[in-house]
Amino acid sequence: MTNLTIKERTINLGDLVILVADPNPYLRKLIFGMLRGFGANKLLEVDGLPSLLQTLTGQKIDILLCDMRFPPIGGLKITENIRRTESNENRTMPILIMSGDGRETTIKSARDAGANMVVAKPISAKSLYDRLAWIAFTPRKFVDTATYFGPDRRFKIEGYPNGVGRRKGDNVLDVAEPVGPTLAQDDIDSLFSATRTGQS
Amino acid sequence: MVEPIKNTARIFAIDTRFQKMAKRPGGVPRDVAVKRAEKFIDELKPEFVIWLDTELQELSAAVRGAEGSSFDPSWHKRAYRTSSRLRDVGGTMGYEMISFIAGNFCEVLDVIDRGIAYDRDVMNCHLDSLFLVKTEPYRNLTPEQLPEMTNGLRRVVEFANSAADRTVK
Repeated sequence: MTNLTIKERTINLGDLVILVADPNPYLRKLIFGMLRGFGANKLLEVDGLPSLLQTLTGQKIDILLCDMRFPPIGGLKITENIRRTESNENRTMPILIMSGDGRETTIKSARDAGANMVVAKPISAKSLYDRLAWIAFTPRKFVDTATYFGPDRRFKIEGYPNGVGRRKGDNVLDVAEPVGPTLAQDDIDSLFSATRTGQS
Repeated sequence: MVEPIKNTARIFAIDTRFQKMAKRPGGVPRDVAVKRAEKFIDELKPEFVIWLDTELQELSAAVRGAEGSSFDPSWHKRAYRTSSRLRDVGGTMGYEMISFIAGNFCEVLDVIDRGIAYDRDVMNCHLDSLFLVKTEPYRNLTPEQLPEMTNGLRRVVEFANSAADRTVK
């Protein structure tokens, strides 16, 4: 298999059902335009919880792009609910959280809620394409425990200053200590960079 | 003696439809995809200027609702909604300073939500800055290119945050 970096990967979004959940209509319009430029042709949008729930229960969604502060409960609670609801046919779909809040605690909360990745707002075309490629080409096993259902959260934090620690009460998860007010997209990516792909 | 409950985890591989389909050949290569998306963004720019004006007027009206006879109990919610829209979109459209100031303003509103009193000067300096950076020659500048403004606004937020921390304690 060729050893390409994420930035050298090509993704094919044709016929994938992509749901964008954000209360800001202008942002949805921007995201739609970018995704169409990437080749996506099956796009859905929702601006509130009732329509989101209806869309998620009525059909199979291939990937959800959800605002971190999606009203009224926020994208993290939504992610947790999707992951924890056994009867939800979209339980294992990739979830990309869009966040204007780049604090490390927020990013880690997204990971701990079961999100696949976080993209920082304002979103550039490059960052969106790369995050989608990362999700597509970085296979992660799912973990099902009493307290968590979602992508494997065992990570190595490459180049991140405070190294890696272990989360209290969960003996298989490695997380960083909370530091710093805001993370750049590269640091966010590091928090989501799995090192043990393919390992059970 | 009671046995401690063992943590058990089921770990399983999953190949979602997204992962399967996105890896198919025939996709749009990154450079082409990004170019197309940026062209779309460029085409939206004339319309964005109008949108920006409307949002800034709405933000001003929301903030005025915090004052005196025109008090509107929903002012905070309106102001937060509008400033977060500006923060989330400005940078994508090439107005990085709009995103920076609006993001700062969201933090100020978060602090007010934690119980710190509304400060008219803090509101005005953010609003004035937002109106300023949408004009030439500021509209294409980055936060790094306007250090006096960005450092000053950050200090305002830090001061408000430390005041909120003292109040909470």
